Amino acid sequence: MDIKTIKQNGVIHTLCRMCDTRCAIDVHLKNGVMADITPFEGHPINQGKMCPRGSAAIDQFYHINRIHKPLKKQPDGTFTEISRRQAFDEIAEKIDLLRQSHGARSIGVWKGEGVGFLQQEEYARRFVHALGSPNYFSNDSACYNGRYLGHSLVTGFWNAFPEFSTADLILLFGTNPPMCHPPFMREFADARQSGAKLVVIDPRLNPIACYADIYAQPYPGTDGALGWGLIRHLIETKNYDSELVERYSIGFEQIARYAKRFTPQYVEEQSGIFSEVVVDIAEMIIKYSPRMSIFAGTGLEHYENGVNNVRTLASLSCLCGALDIGCGLFWPEEMERRKLTIYDEVSLLNQKPIGADKFAALYDLRKECHSMSAMDYMLGKGEYPLKGLIVTGANPAVTNPNTHKVEKAFSNLDLLVVNDFFLTPTAKLAHYVLPAASFLERSELHFFPKHQMVNLTQKVAEIEGVKNDYLLWHDLAHRLGFGDTYFPWENEEDVMQWILEPSGIRLEDLHDHPEGLVYKPIQYKKYKTRPLPTPSGKIEFASAYLKKFGLSEIPEYIPPYHIRQKSKDFPFTLTTGARKSLFYHSRHQNIARFRTVHPKAEVEIRPDDAADLGIKDNDVVRIVSEIGSLEIPAKIVRKSELRRGVIEIYHGWEEWRVNSVTPDNINDPISGFPLLKGIPVRIERI
Amino acid sequence: MMVIFVELDRCLACRNCERVCSFQEAGGFKREDSNIWVQVDLAKRSIFTMTCLQCETALCLEVCPTKGLVRDPKTNAVVVDEAACVGCKMCVAACPFGNIHFENKRQVAAKCNLCNGDPQCVKNCMSGALHFGDINDLAAIKRQHTDKKLIPKAFPNREKSKNGH
Repeated sequence: MDIKTIKQNGVIHTLCRMCDTRCAIDVHLKNGVMADITPFEGHPINQGKMCPRGSAAIDQFYHINRIHKPLKKQPDGTFTEISRRQAFDEIAEKIDLLRQSHGARSIGVWKGEGVGFLQQEEYARRFVHALGSPNYFSNDSACYNGRYLGHSLVTGFWNAFPEFSTADLILLFGTNPPMCHPPFMREFADARQSGAKLVVIDPRLNPIACYADIYAQPYPGTDGALGWGLIRHLIETKNYDSELVERYSIGFEQIARYAKRFTPQYVEEQSGIFSEVVVDIAEMIIKYSPRMSIFAGTGLEHYENGVNNVRTLASLSCLCGALDIGCGLFWPEEMERRKLTIYDEVSLLNQKPIGADKFAALYDLRKECHSMSAMDYMLGKGEYPLKGLIVTGANPAVTNPNTHKVEKAFSNLDLLVVNDFFLTPTAKLAHYVLPAASFLERSELHFFPKHQMVNLTQKVAEIEGVKNDYLLWHDLAHRLGFGDTYFPWENEEDVMQWILEPSGIRLEDLHDHPEGLVYKPIQYKKYKTRPLPTPSGKIEFASAYLKKFGLSEIPEYIPPYHIRQKSKDFPFTLTTGARKSLFYHSRHQNIARFRTVHPKAEVEIRPDDAADLGIKDNDVVRIVSEIGSLEIPAKIVRKSELRRGVIEIYHGWEEWRVNSVTPDNINDPISGFPLLKGIPVRIERI
Repeated sequence: MMVIFVELDRCLACRNCERVCSFQEAGGFKREDSNIWVQVDLAKRSIFTMTCLQCETALCLEVCPTKGLVRDPKTNAVVVDEAACVGCKMCVAACPFGNIHFENKRQVAAKCNLCNGDPQCVKNCMSGALHFGDINDLAAIKRQHTDKKLIPKAFPNREKSKNGH
């Protein structure tokens, strides 16, 4: 293995991508080796601090199991190293064959979290669309899209990172920021020390609840009921922002009518949160409006009514007047730049994107196909066959629901190419595995909408034979005949020059400013002078757009599946996805020191539930759902951590795949999200 | 004298400090190797983080029969001299707070040595709860925050002016 660092000695300022927070870091080089990673001082995102995941980027880069050469699967199932040229020639030839025999749409691209977003995502979209297929899939199918849609349908935008530090009241729903967004902690602490209040709503008691003024533990998936209860209280007591409602919104009468039934008693019945607490929270909102952050975490998305629950909370923010202010629903302005997507140049809808029939809003607003439906197409049960798939930085065999079906579907493909750092369970199913470059091996643009900032990351090193994702798409496109048109740039630097051109910001400027450049000064309350980016230009408490697709016009509350479908066979409710501090979804499990903290999977269970079943701490139990089963050790947690009958399993374990029990066919009608939380299961002793 | 102190109302129990410390000490992330501890009691909903405060009259140092604990002249920290420590564990018994422990592999006392004047836990505390400074800075910080909380109550009209929205 031949590794070259960009210089022998010194420090390189760049951004970390061990998770998507993207903290600014300093990579220290000593004699051509990455010796250390320390926080970069002076970037607003992490302000000179970083978490242990960041320094482990070195462990990942030099990891003994990293793939450095393309691998080809042999008839006996083993992998053999081949040259990059041979791999690309063969892959391109196979894509071409599929394109000729089944049409371009028989080939899809799946981009995962591991490779990132922004330009990396745009390359993948550009490639598959230029190929003539509409079938772009991503990790966003089970994270992000639900909240993006929930917010966009109300206000037309979503900024995932509010400025909590200036809030007087912070309401967190279904999120554990110390684990998933470490820099939020400083903001919470700043806000709290200035007298702000914190309310935490979560079915699982995390340490952040120790920090809250109010912690309430709802039945999983009932956040919408609480949201409506709060809306009702604001409307009944006439404590909403009437100017915002009258001048800048539509659909208020409809939600006012619908909210009536959500009395504190009804909310208590639905969510299990005491009616007095509902009123207490509502009164806090009234007291502190409009300076509040109402933050919906990933926890809300993974239900079949997830988008509507998020819409309810976005509507609540608007009623409080927390629209387009720093701590509230801030409306970030984009940088003037070119995009690599080519939606206008190619006709996609008539190619029948997978899932666009069932989840029209998802495709229309995200130009993204439905990864759960893709499995049916791979198994020959779709309208047309999906025969080939190029996966980059994704691990659906672990992270998509219904593992057994995913494996079966992926094994049924004529061509599966996986571009990754390691031989993941998904890569093991592939015909070709390509060595992927990590963030330390490329230079790319990053945007921070919250600060309206742009950053350029710096390439730190390269490994001989390991090419970045741009070259993956570029080299395939050129072999398939659309390289000159769609991937004419020789390298990423050239791509970025092209992207940046309309902005007036030059790459050199970004090189000189590792702390990032503000591309546009922040302005608040822009909705007063220009229409919001919704179809009506106003806040949409009711969405005629959704009605057009036969979906609920207002964000109606539907009790979650595990409550509606109570069954004796599956008396427990499983939630998945609570973050671990050192892992990131299925990433980082192979970093040795991280495993000392999280050595093995466990199902968290209350002592009384465990006693009823005769389960002791560390006993291996079998979790069974309608979909499948999983054997896993039990961890008896404190009574206060979960509600009676609720259990929790982390979602990223490769050896204990919780998605063997999660269903892929119970979906949110708007986002198509799978049910990854609130799954009816039973627990069997072994 | 510079010490590590904790602003308890900023700590959200992410445990970064424990990991950074155990990494300094032992190259891994085992909690038992750390010399700073985040104690979370979910039943009582409390978080309490502490490390050695380098007592001026350090009972651990006083009780040590072999000069296995000494005062570092540069940082004023009480540090373990592993060559002199005989593993009698009296220091662990003497510390009133539990801020010194016994390292089972090397069979010696273990405690915070302020990382030679550049404590890594402080550097990596994402919430800004840990500080390295004079203990009176903690009192000053507390006074400052008391101000911030009291002024809006005493002078409610001033509150509107912050940040202009």
